[in-house]
Amino acid sequence: MSTEGRSSAGRRQQGQPIRRRDALYGLGASLGSVAFTAMMASDLARGAEADAAATGADAPPAGPLAPRPQQLPAKAQRCIFLMMEGGPSHIDTFDPKPKLEQLHLEEFVRSGRDKSAMESGKRYFVQSPFRFRKAGESGADMAENWEHLAGVADELCFYRGCQVESVNHPTAMYQMNCGNRFGGDPAIGAWTTYGLGTVNQNLPGFVVLPAVSYPQGGAANWGNGFLPVHYQGTPLRPTGSPILDLEPPPGVSREQQRQTLDLLHELNQAHAARHPQHGELQARMANYELAFRMQMEVPAVLDLAGETADTLAAYGVGTEPTDGFGRKCLLARKLLEEGVRFVQLYHGSWDSHDYIARAHGQLVRAVDQPIAALIADLRLRGLLDSTLVVWCGEFGRSPDNGVRGGTAYGRDHNAKAMTIWLAGGGVNAGHTIGATDETGGEAVETVHHVRDLHVTLLRLLGLDDSRLTYYHAGRFKQLSQFGGEVIGELLA
Amino acid sequence: MMAAMRLRFCGVAVLSLLVVMRPCTAAEAEADPLWAYKPVVRPALDAADARSPIDQLIERALPEGLEPAAAADRATLLRRASFDLTGLPPSPAETAAFLSDPRPDAEAFAAVVERLLASPHYGERMAQHWLDVVRYADSSGLANDYHRGSAWRYRDYVVRAFNRDTPFDRFLVEQIAGDELEPGSPEGIVATGFLRMGPWELTGMEVAEVARQRFLDDVTNSVGETFLAHSLQCARCHDHMFDPVPTRDYYSMQAVFATTQLAERKAAFLPEESTRGFERLRLLTSRREAYQQTLRELDAVLLENAVTWYAEHGLPDARWRQLVEEVSARQNAGIFEAVRRRIGKEAKEGEYPPKLVGFTTEQFGLERVARKGLQRLAFEEEASKPFALAVYDGPTPDVKSINAPVRVPETLSQDADLPQTHVLVGGDPFAAGEPVEPGVLSVLGDLLETPVPREMRGRRLALARWIADPRNPLTTRTIANRIWMWHFGRGIAANPNNFGETGGRPTHPAVLDELASQLVESGWSLKSLHREIMATEAYRRAAEHPRPEVLRECDPEGSSYAVFAPRRLSAEELRDAMLAVSGELNREVGGLPCYPEINREVALQPRQVMGTFAAAWTPDPLPEDRHRRTLYACRLRGLADPFAEVFNTPPSDFSCERRSSSNVTPQVFALFNSLRAAKRALACADRCLRETASDEEAIRRCLQLAYGREASDSEVQRLLTHWQQVEAGLPEQAEAWEPWPTSVERQAVEENTGDLFRFTEVLPAAEGFVSDLQPADAERHTRALADICLAIFNSNEFVYVY
Repeated sequence: MSTEGRSSAGRRQQGQPIRRRDALYGLGASLGSVAFTAMMASDLARGAEADAAATGADAPPAGPLAPRPQQLPAKAQRCIFLMMEGGPSHIDTFDPKPKLEQLHLEEFVRSGRDKSAMESGKRYFVQSPFRFRKAGESGADMAENWEHLAGVADELCFYRGCQVESVNHPTAMYQMNCGNRFGGDPAIGAWTTYGLGTVNQNLPGFVVLPAVSYPQGGAANWGNGFLPVHYQGTPLRPTGSPILDLEPPPGVSREQQRQTLDLLHELNQAHAARHPQHGELQARMANYELAFRMQMEVPAVLDLAGETADTLAAYGVGTEPTDGFGRKCLLARKLLEEGVRFVQLYHGSWDSHDYIARAHGQLVRAVDQPIAALIADLRLRGLLDSTLVVWCGEFGRSPDNGVRGGTAYGRDHNAKAMTIWLAGGGVNAGHTIGATDETGGEAVETVHHVRDLHVTLLRLLGLDDSRLTYYHAGRFKQLSQFGGEVIGELLA
Repeated sequence: MMAAMRLRFCGVAVLSLLVVMRPCTAAEAEADPLWAYKPVVRPALDAADARSPIDQLIERALPEGLEPAAAADRATLLRRASFDLTGLPPSPAETAAFLSDPRPDAEAFAAVVERLLASPHYGERMAQHWLDVVRYADSSGLANDYHRGSAWRYRDYVVRAFNRDTPFDRFLVEQIAGDELEPGSPEGIVATGFLRMGPWELTGMEVAEVARQRFLDDVTNSVGETFLAHSLQCARCHDHMFDPVPTRDYYSMQAVFATTQLAERKAAFLPEESTRGFERLRLLTSRREAYQQTLRELDAVLLENAVTWYAEHGLPDARWRQLVEEVSARQNAGIFEAVRRRIGKEAKEGEYPPKLVGFTTEQFGLERVARKGLQRLAFEEEASKPFALAVYDGPTPDVKSINAPVRVPETLSQDADLPQTHVLVGGDPFAAGEPVEPGVLSVLGDLLETPVPREMRGRRLALARWIADPRNPLTTRTIANRIWMWHFGRGIAANPNNFGETGGRPTHPAVLDELASQLVESGWSLKSLHREIMATEAYRRAAEHPRPEVLRECDPEGSSYAVFAPRRLSAEELRDAMLAVSGELNREVGGLPCYPEINREVALQPRQVMGTFAAAWTPDPLPEDRHRRTLYACRLRGLADPFAEVFNTPPSDFSCERRSSSNVTPQVFALFNSLRAAKRALACADRCLRETASDEEAIRRCLQLAYGREASDSEVQRLLTHWQQVEAGLPEQAEAWEPWPTSVERQAVEENTGDLFRFTEVLPAAEGFVSDLQPADAERHTRALADICLAIFNSNEFVYVY
């Protein structure tokens, strides 16, 4: 019996017959590490169901990825997380700062404890090269180059009060994704699937669509951390085999593979007969059959051929610069429809230290139409109300920049201000919450540490951060690290 | 808080710096959250009982009515012991020798244990465990993930220490203070690599004091977890809620490291270090030359663009041209930037060309890739230099970012102002509270005979000696518990990094104390501890119980040791065992990290690091280099081998006290579908056919190698039939696998312009690449047998140890 993963109530249940069930599950039964928390009052009852399932009776799926009820009532059942890696500038997208036009190229002096950071020569305030306007009936602030997103402005809830703790990309990415700056903790998608399970037992519950190049910090951004490995984000690679080793090497036919699997099954059966007390053997054998099925089913799920020409065009598939992210957004919608719980999409890098007009301009062009199409499509299909959509980066950008020769204006990292927006079920759509100071240097209204954002996102998905815990290395861990509060203003 | 603590703790009164202890009774130890701080008490045993003390103690604790299982058969036991002590399967000859050894079981097995303990692979296996705990990696992680070129010397030091059976107290002192113990000794300097194992960097974006504090927190916690089974990080912000570790203690211990600075220190190679393969690093030289060439070409572009810029802006360029001439006379690279810097002192901004003037997206990208590439290479090139990832004593240097290997300053003042450590309120480096002196955990402070000095030098040595004090119950119990877990898969105390209140209580406190006592008595010999443990009946038991229903009822937690718990091979054992069975394994010990083949998609995946891409993973050109033990595979924090990851190799960001062993579907893809599994299977088939004279013998050979047992006649028949079936379906000639590319096209969004940017990365190691045996070069008969070998590698009998 593993010493990990007992919930606060589960801890007292030490010695309960959890192992018996672990051995029986199809999709990757984890040895002893899967002890679902007492948050699910029906946990032990489900044990009986699992036994029934294992004996072939019709029963709901059981196991580490089985769908589980929300802990708290909430509309959103699933999540699409649009991660704009690199730190999009709030000042040049959704948080206009007219004051910077007055201060443009006046010297900026960093003071206090942060003096030594980004200290390379003189620094200047820099105005935004983008013009702003009010979008939708709600009058949301948007830079004019968000041409398509403006059409769904009233579906969005903008939040300007979030702060993080790191000005370096990977640590800030880890904090935004996993709550812990130094990586190694479970990502929010892992926590969500740990809490809610997933609908389709033949697909991973947490899917990641990375950019061509992985973000700083790499795959740990969607890691399962100390949670059982079932909750790890599965990246679908944009090129080559979407899942590593999904197909056998060239020259191996399905028939040959089937023969080999049958032989393996016989070897394993004979071995299991010699080791009848070793429960793990059955689970490992079942995995081979599931893998064989996945191998056949996954490529069909990923195929966009069934989409209409109108849909493809709406997402910008087939035209540049929207093709890449358009495909991701469309695939994300398909995956949600197939019953995947959490899809995270990456786009970047928004790390525009120089030439922000060109760099951000081009980035917005690549994502604007696909994101707007995704929201409209979800609405059309009646899915928006039961889906949480999150758009954010790992931090915002500074109102100032170092000497870049007078023309190449950009912005540096800013952990104290950023803009995040949410859409979908339970979200306070059509409102802008919080505010930054007159230069956009620091959040000053409805200011919350990112831990509170995490608590809020979980709350929107019907999960309670303080009850969604996992016992590891001597304490009960949670996404917010040590607890936090719901940012009530973001909720409808 | 202190008052509350005093009330809570049975048998211990914690005053600020004064600790009063009395031994607990056995019953108290079970319930007592402070069991770990109590002195180790050797359990009283029945002198008339000839069995080992551990067996006696385990029997005493057996639940009423539960009989232990019988002894495992010799073949099972040999496979278990071989994997446990070397991470490798026994050879058929070793199996045959043990099975036919006429001596009684216990005696014959003791001889096996001696042989395995003397094997150079014993140290490798133990090092694998140890490196999990200390978070070994060959790169720094975080934004830059720079190589730690010389980290392999620490890894090999650990292998040597285990192989030599360096007394554990010495081993720990060397890792914390080897440089202070024997100043100038290369071994001592290399050993302090331990203190550098955490992910760390200092970038220009962050505040240096914060990064420094991150190191101090990391190293304090790491020493606590590794040697004292105490996660100290909670005490960073508040008195420890569960353990008697006040914040003051935490910062006292941290003050020990206040004079510890990070550097790659000069340390001559020792004769016992493997310097083989340094010539492989010439591949780095070719990368260096390519980057330098790119920068020279781009410099020429900038110089041209500058002239255009002046013309476009209608500004005179005479002064610019004059400076270009002057600078060009002195240097042949970086001319544009040098001229800009000089003219910037004379002219106003806007009157001279901006940085990287007129670059296209591609040129921005190429410049960045080359410039940062050179910085990155410098770290990689450390690998063959006589320097070690280490520390020195001195004042904290004033640096804003680290983009090159750090050397010890030429002049080191030992009487510079000594740093004053303070309690940091809430762990904030800018919120200094009460000052503290270097010290140790007050709960065991009475073991400290002379106080930790305040001078620059010697602080760490004093701390290390307190940890290594044979009376320090945390230290001896911590290592004894780890060794036990490395044999039984579970610690006596369930959390080997956490003996505090929140960690699991020991199931067999008396066994733990017996082991701790024996360890000190043997002169801290870990090999003695292995001997003791492996000689027990508990270790030699079968994995099957004669009455499973009684076992389930009496021991639902599986903690009685009435049966031996089977385990799945770790990722490293799995890969190494496949290579051993296929005959491809290179058993050479130590040396430079090697680059095995990993999934091509991952190897060539563009990987962002600060401001650029990291170089692709290019496998070593020669099979013998690729097929070294997994311990030696280059371990980059930012690029995990997917095979290792899916079989639970932990990321090296946090200390891993115990491997988990999950069972998930992607493991099937990695072991059944992957090219690397297919390669091992084909090599195994080829070997079995080469080494035997008939098909039947080939199959028998394969099972001997993989399972360590003889095949039954019915198995042989079944496998022969399968062989024929598969062979009938295979083409006469197989298609060739794609070779590794010699270059890769990269594309990503250029951060300056937001445009897609492409460039070609040359992969020098792919030149002269010698492939493993390929289907195209193998006969159909061999390829069909490979199918059987693949099934065997995937079978539960191969993957589990009983």
